[in-house]
Order: sequence, then structure tokens, then C-alpha cells
Amino acid sequence: MNTISLLHTLPRVFADRPSLPPSDIWKQDATLERGHLYLIEAASGTGKSSLCSFLIGYRQDYEGKILFDGSDIHEFCTYDWTQVRQRSLSTMFQELRLFPELTAWENVQIKNRLTNHKSDADICAWFEALGIADKREVKLAQMSFGQQQRVALIRALCQPFDFLLADEPVSHLDADNTAAMGELIMNEARSQGAGVIITSIGHHMDLPYDKVFKL
Amino acid sequence: MTLIWKLLRQHVSVGQLAGFFFANLLGMLIVLLSLQFYEDVVPAFSGEDGVMKNTYIILSKHISAVSTLGGEAQTFTDADIRDLEAQGFTRRVGAFTASQYQVYGSLSMGGMGIGTDMFFESVPDAFVDVQWPAVDAQTVPIILPRSYLAIYNFGFAQSKSLPKLSEGLVSMIQLDLRLRGEGGVERRMKGQVVGFSTRLNTVLVPESFMQQSNRELAPAAAAAPTRLIVEVKNPADDAIARYVQDKGYELEDNSLEAGRATYFLKVVAVIVMAVGLLISLLSFYILMLSIFLLVQKNADKLQNLVLIGYSPARVSRPYQLLTVGLNALVLLLSFVLLFWIRGIYLDRLWEMFPTLAEGPVSMTILIGFALFVIVSFFNIVAIRRKINRLTPRSPKMFKRGLYSTLNGK
Repeated sequence: MNTISLLHTLPRVFADRPSLPPSDIWKQDATLERGHLYLIEAASGTGKSSLCSFLIGYRQDYEGKILFDGSDIHEFCTYDWTQVRQRSLSTMFQELRLFPELTAWENVQIKNRLTNHKSDADICAWFEALGIADKREVKLAQMSFGQQQRVALIRALCQPFDFLLADEPVSHLDADNTAAMGELIMNEARSQGAGVIITSIGHHMDLPYDKVFKL
Repeated sequence: MTLIWKLLRQHVSVGQLAGFFFANLLGMLIVLLSLQFYEDVVPAFSGEDGVMKNTYIILSKHISAVSTLGGEAQTFTDADIRDLEAQGFTRRVGAFTASQYQVYGSLSMGGMGIGTDMFFESVPDAFVDVQWPAVDAQTVPIILPRSYLAIYNFGFAQSKSLPKLSEGLVSMIQLDLRLRGEGGVERRMKGQVVGFSTRLNTVLVPESFMQQSNRELAPAAAAAPTRLIVEVKNPADDAIARYVQDKGYELEDNSLEAGRATYFLKVVAVIVMAVGLLISLLSFYILMLSIFLLVQKNADKLQNLVLIGYSPARVSRPYQLLTVGLNALVLLLSFVLLFWIRGIYLDRLWEMFPTLAEGPVSMTILIGFALFVIVSFFNIVAIRRKINRLTPRSPKMFKRGLYSTLNGK
């Protein structure tokens, strides 16, 4: 997948509002390309979660069109979406969507066993780099949200992708961990030639963004 | 799979699954047991003898002193046969063909010879349930009424101090036959008894032999049948008895009674089977409710798995395997219980009917497997549909390949 295009897209809940605050995405034509780094800055209530839900195929209550390489994702079937999520678009969810019953390691493995993308050694190295090597065998429920965010990132990197969509990835991280996470994302994206889309409602990673959208 | 199972087994209710298990076991057992019981018991009631089905009846015209003295024909005309064929209860009609020549049969045992005048009859081969065995051209295969053997053993042999004969022994003895036709044409042949029938009260030979020997030995005689064999749809049908009475025909043996007993046994078996099926159906419902509840409780986990790239088919699999496994266990245990119970009732049956052969089990096993396959299939489909409904909707759930064609994958 090389491009994600949004053509006059607008969440349906916004459709009957008389006036909308100016946005670089809603009701505009915007294209995101593979290999580039994007930041989407949003204030609360401007539809950031909706945008991510549309892109990952979780919701379809929008007007206008969203195209992956020119084809309308509204037409995708279950099989298409499974393929997209496994190979093209990796997501780090704002709400993480991790499994509290499993350990940090198992949470990553449940993805990596599906894709067989990374070796155990690679994953270990990432746990090390993000400072949670000692938490590998700890149940996720017993970890702080910041630690869970790092597990969620590692899980998101355990697959091939053309785009990485990270929804507020560093909302609960300190400066050091934010920097470590930024470095990890950029290394992995560069090695795959992938695009990265990061959303933020304030605190964000300091990275060389190609374009910043205001939502 | 293990990690997914670790996740998805949360909220599995052992109580509900046990409830399903026992309900389904009961239903399955009732279905299979009624079927097997029917298979085992029916021969005892229907008097089936392997030569003639119990849906066959044999008709003859009533013989009275008046009809005999008046020279009234006791044969069936073509019109009689056509009328019978037109009746609603009739499936098909066949005529008995009698030999139009004289038959003298003799056999010698241990230096003693006995002989008698006799006759042959044949019915169309389609009405004989046994395959006529292949014998050489000089030997005629014969099916005898079982009662003839009884008359010989308990009447004749007893009074003449002759040895008693078993069915097996008789089948090994060859009869010397002398067939004498018109103009003194004579033919000597061997006869071999190949079977016994409790229902057919005649000396039965193959139809082909009958036609050929009649042509050869009595070319001029054309015989109208004196007896008819009729296959009926349902021997318990009242219309048969009424028709027979109206026409002044006679029914041989008590085939109608046996037919009725079989018919009612069949009805009872079907009712019991229906109850079993109903229980199975309800247990299926319990299982589905239980699984649906499980899926609902684990909805967020299922959804998350799909959003990180698992296909709905893959996350459905643990629950599908769980139900299919349970169904298989139920099937296995039903078979074990079935054969255990069958052993008990067969012992009782043998006390009552010592000669009863046990019925075939193949049908029961087949039906058991068929039920297993059908129920499992519906389980699998229902679980998949339920999970599809939970996971993010897509308007074209099963239309494959838009993304894949795009990416050339």
C-alpha cells in the first residue's frame, strides 16, 4: 500500500453541525504517502479517535471517501481487512487493546505468532531498549499505563507494515522513554520504507515530521 | 493457538457445557437406541424369512364345494390382474406360474428310497429376495416351504423311523427329478434345495427354468395363474382386507397381521426417535446459548484479536473445536452406552426368540455419525456468524479480494 487518501471525509456525527472549526483533514482532500512521517494534531472532540477507527476499518460512519491505493475501503470485505491489518497497516491504539490476562511477553507473542515477523531476540532487545525488560513475565494488569504503552508499541512493530498508525503513543511517557520510543519507531519504519502517522493532543515526540495536519 | 485459547477460555462455564453434554447424550442415545431396537426386534415380529418381504401378500380364489363341483374357474383372468394393479395399495403384481407337466421327485438315503409326485411353481424373480444360486444346467434350485420339512421330520420320519433332517442337511441332498410332458417327452434332472421359506407355501423354482421347461415339455398348454403375489405399500392398510373380501379372494398366511405388527412397531420407533431428536435439538439450543453467552462475555477480546490482524475464522476456531469435541465425545459415549444396553435387551430377546438373528448395526452407526456431522456443521456456522456479527462490520462480509487484487498478493 503506497497511499492513503481522504476525499472530503467527515464523521457523520459532524455532518449536521452548522459550522466546523478549520481542519486540514475533515472535508478536505488529504493524501498520506508511504515513507513519510506525519503528525496529526488534534484538540479533544475533533474526531481523532473517529479518524483512527475509520482507517483501521473499525467504524464506517463517515461521509466522503477514504482510499487505500485508490480503492474505496468502504468496499473492503472481512478478508481484505484481515490482510490489511496483518501486512499493511499496523496500529498502536490509544486504548492499547492489550490483554490484561496475559503477560507482557504473551501480549507481544500473540501478535508475533500470527505474523512470524520478529525473532524472540529482536523482541527481547526492544523490551530492553524501552526499559521494561524486567516486566516481560508480569501480567499486564499489574503494569502502569506507561509501561503498557511500550508493550503496545512492541506488539505493533511485530508485523510487516506500509503505514504505522500510532494513536497518542506517548501520552503517559517521560521524556527519555518518549525519545526511546521515537527512535524505535523511526528505525523500524525506515527499515521497511514505511510511512508513520502519529496523532497527539499535545505532548508529542520530537521527530522530523514531513507534514503536520491540524484536525 | 494456545495463547488464543488461554484468552478465549475465560468465562467458559463448565456447568452449562455439562448441561449440554448430558442433554445431548440423552437425546442421541434415545435416537440411536430406538433405531437399533427397531432393527433388532422387527425380524421377530415380521416373520421375515429372507425369501419374501413382509410387504408381499399372496392371493388365491376361494375354493368351495360349489365352485369345485360347478367347474368354476379358480384362476385369475387378465382383467382380475389389471383391476388389482389399479388399486391404490398395490405396488406391483406377479403371477404364480405352475408347471404344466408331471414331476416325480425321489431321493435315496442309505439304501432306502422315497419318491413322490410333486409340482413346481415360480414367481417373477423380482419378488424373490434371494439371489438364485448358480447351479449347472442339469440342476434345478428349489426353495421349499419350511412346513414341509416339519411335516417330514415330525410326522413322516417319526412314524417310519427315518432320520430327522436339518435344513443344512437337506440342502446337501440332491433330488432325482423326472419331468414328463406331453407325448411322453421325458427329462431327468437333479434338484437341489437352496432355501426354505415360512411364507411361500409352494415348491418354488426360478422363473427362467419354469418358462423354459414349460415350453419344452408342454408347448400347447397355456396356464392361467391360480395364485398371485402382490407387493403392497402398507400391509396394515384396511383397503386390502376390504378388497379381498369384496372379490371373494383368499389371503394366504397371516402376513397382514405380521405386517400390522411391524407397522405399529415402526410407528412407535419413529415417535420415540422424534422425542430423542427433540431432546437433541433442545440440547443444541442450550449449547448455542452457552457459546453465544461466552462469545458475548469475551466480545472485547475477540474484537481486539481481529483488530490486531486475526481473521474472524481463526478466532472462531477455539469455540468451534470445543463444540465439535463435545459432540464427538457425546457420539462416542452414546455408542458405548448403546451397545451396553443392546447387550442387555438382546439377552432378553433371545430368551423369547431363540432363533432371532441380531439386526445390523450399520444403520445406527451411520445415523449417529450423520447426526454428529449435521449438529457440528450448524455449531460451526452459528459460532462463525455470531463472531462475525461482533467484530467490526463490513458491508461485504464474504466478497473476497479487493485488497488482494490491489496489492497483487
